[in-house]
Order: sequence, then structure tokens, then C-alpha cells
Amino acid sequence: MRIYTPAGEIGPEPVHLAPSPSVLAGRRIGILDNTKPNAGVLLGRMAEQLAERTGAIVSTVVTKNAALAAPDDVMSRLREEVELVLTGSAD
Amino acid sequence: MATDSAPFLDLDHDDPVRLLELYASRGWGDGLPMIPPTEDRVTEMLGAGEHDPDEVIAVLPPRSGLATRRMIAVNAVLAGCTPAHQPVLVAAVRALARPEVNLRGVNATTHPVAPLLVVHGRVADDGGYNGGIGAFGPGNRANAATGRALRLILMHIAGAVPGPGDVATQGGPAKYTYCVAENLAESPWGSYAADAGVDAPSAVTVHCGEAPHNAHDMESSAPEAILEKVASAMRSTGQNNAPISQGEYFVMLCPEHAAACAAAGWTRRHVASFLHQRARLPAGELRRAFDLRAWEPWQQTLADDELMPMTAHPDHIKVLVVGGPGKHSSVIPSWGMTKSVTVAVEAT
Repeated sequence: MRIYTPAGEIGPEPVHLAPSPSVLAGRRIGILDNTKPNAGVLLGRMAEQLAERTGAIVSTVVTKNAALAAPDDVMSRLREEVELVLTGSAD
Repeated sequence: MATDSAPFLDLDHDDPVRLLELYASRGWGDGLPMIPPTEDRVTEMLGAGEHDPDEVIAVLPPRSGLATRRMIAVNAVLAGCTPAHQPVLVAAVRALARPEVNLRGVNATTHPVAPLLVVHGRVADDGGYNGGIGAFGPGNRANAATGRALRLILMHIAGAVPGPGDVATQGGPAKYTYCVAENLAESPWGSYAADAGVDAPSAVTVHCGEAPHNAHDMESSAPEAILEKVASAMRSTGQNNAPISQGEYFVMLCPEHAAACAAAGWTRRHVASFLHQRARLPAGELRRAFDLRAWEPWQQTLADDELMPMTAHPDHIKVLVVGGPGKHSSVIPSWGMTKSVTVAVEAT
């Protein structure tokens, strides 16, 4: 008996991540806080430690609703102001 | 045997128990027995129309799966649908892919949200859908299988698999199947779809919300008394509307409650406006309950003793007629960061 598998093909990814910078010294780090509980605390501390170790600069902190895609103006600001973004925190 | 990514599996048996085990071993299925999606069954499900079976109806997140007519039909077969249900599923997938539904969020959240599928008009009759007694319950193939097929599409094509693609803390029974028909024959206000702007013989609505909350009133004939119970089911701090107060409510009035409202001259709009006025809580009570609030500026200006509506506008309160004899209505709160969508079902 021949049957179909149920998942089908995967389409093109809607977005592509930019390559990470190979050296962080002097680079600007941004925080995209999704406003989940303590996300800002966690991401802020991570960014501070990363900056201390590498010589990067924490330059931009923006927030978004965790359940929605980041608005265009937030993404534009991050694109313009930083080379690395820290984000992502769940409940 | 083919790999997971291949379109077919070649089996040397037709044992449904072994098929269930095979699917489960690959992370497929909802845990219940399924109909084997053979080529013949899928071809029959696709029907004799002129549509391209490989037309991509939508790309569904988070997996970015291609929901073609054929893959929708595969999952319809698995769930036990008949070909009359395929156009409903195609329309439902179109609706779920609309940006305002925010399917990525719906699939990913810890909230127990599931897309409710409401079937309107001619296709509800042709497909054998139940909008009458026990509409949300078991015993009707169309409701059960179509709702189940939509869940299988979300699991298989969209990747909303509990764990990696669906992190609902407790899940919920509505995630197995969640499909009803509008009881148009007993609606004193005509079709919900037409009021929602879809003037077509057949339509579907998707509303991503919780399981139904009961609102019971056996004794009242005045709309105010009946709808006060409905409003009380909306005034819950356990709903996302409390800290995120913009989501829609679907109010599924039973025919007897709807008839009582209509007999007093109330329209859908009257019902929604009354509920918007009555489903309110003191802003201070909500502030005490939630330190984390995604409130709009107008909400933040409310004094503690002022009443805050559970949703921002009467238009966010959708009123339909569902069910049979008796005096139980229900409220279906939204997940919040999503909006319902009504679309036409294409003719076959």
C-alpha cells in the first residue's frame, strides 16, 4: 500500500539572519526585549557581560510585544544602530 | 521505505494499528487512529474540479510548510473527512494565513488557544455540519473530522507539534477538533458571515480562542438578565483580556437565548453593546492582579475605581447562534493577539 506522508514541502524562509560579526570589539550591541517577565534583566546582563569580554558597546534597547512580530520601525532602528541583536526569552 | 521528507511511504500491510504506530514514531498524528491517505483517497478528496492540486494555498508558520490543495486533502483523508469538507478546509487555511490572525503566535504561545472553525451557509448543509444540538460535542462526522483535519494540518504542515512548535502549557481539548456550524435556521439576525462582510453562499470564520465557557440562564426572558450571565463569563481575570484587553469574544447564543433577545427587539449590535457595557472590571482590581500589563494609553489613564471594559469596542464582541433546545450559551475568549477572519468558500 502506498500512502502520502502528511507534512509536505517546506517553503522559502520568510527572513534570513545576517551573518554574525567575527569580531565584536567596538561593535554596537542592541537588545530587543520582548517584554516577557525578566527578559529585560536577562538580556541586559548578557549584553553587559558580552561587552565586558569583547569590547563591544551596548548601545540600543528596544521593546516589542512577545506575541507579535517586531514592528518595522523597531527593525529599522536596529538595522541602523547596531551590528548584533540579543533577543528571545520565554515565560 | 521512503524517508520522512519523501511524499510517499510504501507499506507491505494495511493494518491501521501499525500505521498509527508508524506515524507516531515519526512524530505525526494526534494520537488517534487515522485513515490511510492512499493516492486514490487523496484524489477523491481533491474532487473533480479544475483546481491545480499543487496550488499553494498558504505557507504556514512556524515550519513554513506549503499548504497545497493536495496536502490539505492528505490531512483531510487522515482525519476522516469526505470530499464535501475539502473546500471548507481550503477556505479555513486561507483564513488562518491572513496576517491579522497571527498564526505564528497562535501556534507558538503557552496559551491554550485553538482556531475555532465556524461554517456558514450552503456548505454547512451540503457537508452535513452540525450547528444544532450538541454542536460543540461529539457525534457528527463533519464537525469532528473537519476540525481534526485542521489540527492535523497545523501539526504536520505548519509544524505546531506540542513541544517544538506548540508550547501550550496545558494544551486543551479544543486542540483536537474545534468546528461547528452556525445555526442559521434559528438565527433571528440572519447570517453572521453576511454581517461580517462576506456575501457568499458559503463561508467560514476562524477565531483563535479558548474552549467555550458556559453561560446558563434557565429562567429569564429579558435580554438584560440573560446577557448578564454572559457578561459574567467574560469578566474573568484568568483571560488574556484582563492584562491584554483588546481581544475579541465570540458569544455563541443558543437559539432560545437569541430568540428572547430578538423578541425584545435587540439586534446583534444591541447584544454586543450591552455586553461591552456590562463586561467590565474596576481598573484597580486589574492593576492589583497584574504587574505586567500590555495596556493601551487610554487604559492606563483609568482611575482605580473606574470600570475597564474587557475589550475595547463592541465590534470586538461577535454574536452568533449555535446549539439546540435548552438555555446554555457560551463565551469563547480570544487568545488576544489575533483577530477573527471570515472568508468565502469557493464553489466546487
